[in-house]
Amino acid sequence: MRLLLRVLAPLLGLALAVVGLAIVVETVTLWVAPASSPLIVPWPSWRTAIEGLTWQSGVVRGVAIGVGVVGLLVLLLGLVARRHDVYLADPVPEVTVTTSPRSLARAVGHEVRSHEDVVSASVVATTKRITVKASTLDPADTVRDAVRARVDELLGRLPLARRPRVAVSVTTTKGVK
Amino acid sequence: MSRRSRAAVARSAGGDRTLTVVLGLVLVAAAVLALLVGYGVFGVFRAQRPLIDPLLVEWVTAHTGATRWIAVGIGVVLFLLGLWWTLRSLRPEPRPDVSLSEVPGERLTVEHSAICDAVRADAETIDGVSRARVRLVGGPQRPALRIALTLVEGTDVRDVWADLDGRVLARAREAFSVSALPTAVRLELDATSAPTPARVE
Repeated sequence: MRLLLRVLAPLLGLALAVVGLAIVVETVTLWVAPASSPLIVPWPSWRTAIEGLTWQSGVVRGVAIGVGVVGLLVLLLGLVARRHDVYLADPVPEVTVTTSPRSLARAVGHEVRSHEDVVSASVVATTKRITVKASTLDPADTVRDAVRARVDELLGRLPLARRPRVAVSVTTTKGVK
Repeated sequence: MSRRSRAAVARSAGGDRTLTVVLGLVLVAAAVLALLVGYGVFGVFRAQRPLIDPLLVEWVTAHTGATRWIAVGIGVVLFLLGLWWTLRSLRPEPRPDVSLSEVPGERLTVEHSAICDAVRADAETIDGVSRARVRLVGGPQRPALRIALTLVEGTDVRDVWADLDGRVLARAREAFSVSALPTAVRLELDATSAPTPARVE
């Protein structure tokens, strides 16, 4: 989402600038040299197109809904394009330490997969929550406890600013050990 | 965590986000207003009036000069706002050189790349660090360090911190002759072993 914002923000700015420039150019043209108006934007034909419309017309409602949807998307983009850094406790004042959710998930994933009874595992990490899904050939209950203990131990070693909640789910898959 | 070290974590997208949110709000408000008028919330007769309202046309015809100036004003404001926004979000994040002395005759400036290379070389000697990237952010008078460290699997983060603060940052502070240097450290954990599938949100 941040990448999309980085790309879209200059384009939105450019669009605003173009609209502003067009308004100025057309107004001044109509003012100074009415004979050569419209210069670039064919606004008189737009005017004849909307001449007969009332606020109740279906076209007006359709356009309004379209503009509203675009506006909502732009609004959402601005709201969700925040950083998702995972903060670690500060070693000293004046120093901020962060890591990425991806990196945290990778570290937890290594730890979980290093358990010999775990066949496969997937990890999703955010600042608030780490979700581990693992599969095993053994009874799920014992492996779940072991995996949870490993993750807790890893989080104990990693000085995170706020300790995320850990959810572990283990399923037993069929296969030969 | 100080405000300046926190600001050095990454380039701020705050301006872009604020402007995007405002633009989105304006579009949504315009759409909602048009729909409300159309559905007769502001009166049944208003909903039946034409889009190009005769009242408005009458006013414009009576006040041609004022309308022209209003249109030009709106256009200029939109143009300047859009241009400022575009340039602002396209401008690269500055890489400041650090001025150590401003006294005339003995002005002393250290180049950005010199500082970063020195700190990077220092940081890469820390046990467990496989790669370091360093850059300065902020202004020449109030610089801050941004360091990205890639750690070998199984490295104890606390050891890396101790080394980083005790040796690398201590030397940087000494070189700048400051008591505190705002620093943002980004850690990539366990990045050097074979890539494993990890799903993240």
